[in-house]
Amino acid sequence: MKEVLLALAVAWSLGTGLAHAQATDAPAAAAPTSITDADIKGAPTPTPEQKAAGDAAGTLTGNPADIPVSDPKKGLTIQDVVTAVGGNLIATNFVWTLITGFLVMFMQAGFAIVETGLGRAKNANHTMMMNFMVYGVGMAAYWLIGFGIQEGGVGAVANLGGTAPLNSEFAITLFGKSWGLFGQKGAMLGGSTYDVGVMVMFLFQMVFMDTALTIVTGTAAERWRYSAFIISSFVMGALTYPLFANWAWGGGWLATLGSSYGLGHGYADFAGSGVVHSVGGVTALAMAIIIGPRIGKFNRDGSPNAIPGHDITLVLLGCFILAFGWFGFNPGSTLGAALNGNLRISSVAVNTMLAGMAGSFSGMYYMWIRYGKPDASMTGNAFLAGLVAITAPSGFVTPMSSVIIGLIAGMLVCLSCEFVERKLKLDDVVGAISVHGTNGIWGVISVGLFADGKSNYAGAWNGVPGSVTGLFYGDAGQLVAQLVGVATLIGFVFTFSFVVNWIIEIAWGHRVQPKVELGGLDIPEMGALGYPEFVLKDEALTV
Amino acid sequence: MAIVGLAVTLLGFVVAASSVGLTAANGMRLVIVLVGIAMSLGGIMGLINPAYQKNAVWKR
Repeated sequence: MKEVLLALAVAWSLGTGLAHAQATDAPAAAAPTSITDADIKGAPTPTPEQKAAGDAAGTLTGNPADIPVSDPKKGLTIQDVVTAVGGNLIATNFVWTLITGFLVMFMQAGFAIVETGLGRAKNANHTMMMNFMVYGVGMAAYWLIGFGIQEGGVGAVANLGGTAPLNSEFAITLFGKSWGLFGQKGAMLGGSTYDVGVMVMFLFQMVFMDTALTIVTGTAAERWRYSAFIISSFVMGALTYPLFANWAWGGGWLATLGSSYGLGHGYADFAGSGVVHSVGGVTALAMAIIIGPRIGKFNRDGSPNAIPGHDITLVLLGCFILAFGWFGFNPGSTLGAALNGNLRISSVAVNTMLAGMAGSFSGMYYMWIRYGKPDASMTGNAFLAGLVAITAPSGFVTPMSSVIIGLIAGMLVCLSCEFVERKLKLDDVVGAISVHGTNGIWGVISVGLFADGKSNYAGAWNGVPGSVTGLFYGDAGQLVAQLVGVATLIGFVFTFSFVVNWIIEIAWGHRVQPKVELGGLDIPEMGALGYPEFVLKDEALTV
Repeated sequence: MAIVGLAVTLLGFVVAASSVGLTAANGMRLVIVLVGIAMSLGGIMGLINPAYQKNAVWKR
């Protein structure tokens, strides 16, 4: 009995000793401290004399006295501080999203000079005017119809704090699940959508939509009737783009493939390799088939002729402007800079620049090895291809993966351009089908391969908790979701675009007369030459 | 022929999109989606484009 009691005593002392050791090792939990209005009132503020003396060091400007108070009699309260914190959070996100949207808008200038430079001087006015007015035509269509279809059912976006009025999505039930098809609020920004958060969303999404529209003008340049271009672009801004964008970004069925069918996080397209670039690229493909090649592009035996652009300096300058705008395109797609994992904007920006660099290298060396010279226009296109490809995965992948994605994109655009021209016998003036279509699809697929599962945007993506993770990091379902998106782009968006432009072809006609095409579109279509003081080559030599 | 091509292209999309409801196995879904993509590409490159190439401007 004595031994038993002794053993129990030893065990007890050891147990208490261990417990004591654990208590000693663990940091003492700090008792929560309540902050009171009195603490806030005690915060130091500069005196009027100090402020009147100027604040060269910048240490006095921006202090507790700058926080608006709700009741001057009470002075500054905790409620005022909390209100200011919430307001500043949303304000930071508003400013970030608006400024990045402004950068994306400036990409129109890049597209305009790339496409004009790759065309001939005799069509400069016409090509530039298409790129100029696609901005207005697209915006009008989007304001009247498109935005409501795309974003009308997106719901409240936490980063913007106030898009709750966009709450009506038309959906059908298939296979026992809801399939969102299009939004039903936000047309003309009236009613409850006259809302500050909705305005930010409209501006940002509108400039993205316009990017998709301007891709098509590059492919169909130098033979597209200006009036047909306006009709086609209006329909694309009102229907084609918004439909796919709703499915991918507006709460539609592609976005919910994860929550409904367990396919990863649903179709994940961070900034629009698919939504923007592939939609533009497959529409360009449809237009290239319908409108046909320029006179002189192919010989009677089907062999292609090179039709060089008139100003390579414009082309490369345009590529730089586009790359600058891409810093709005990709990092801005967080729709915020504060909290919710949004500090990843630095990673998104670096991934973007790395992929562009990698694309330009692989494209340049491909052309150099294959043709003996580092072709300038294809190097520019390879640079853009890298940027297009990283657009979807930029928010989900590592810098190393970005370089790999860009390297593949740079070579892919060269191979695709050759295939489109030599096998399909299609005339794509700027290579838009390959840059935006082929590499947009590559970008979408690369999310399903390279997403590393480290991103965390408010703890979920498309309503599925956790981070987007690709096949190489363990989630095969994400790759399937991405491929369903690719099938939708090729199978649905192409068909829709083709039918729309086919109807326009029958009812109105896309192509100018051969005489107009040979002489240049500037005078017949626009009434003025792009370069009135230039002596243009004889039309027989300018084909 | 172009209309047949459009139908095949659209059917490819329908097949791919249906994969998510037809089976719960991701491997099977992957196969069905790839078949759908192949159908759509075949419709575009094998039917629609050749139909238009018959009357291409450079053949006249």
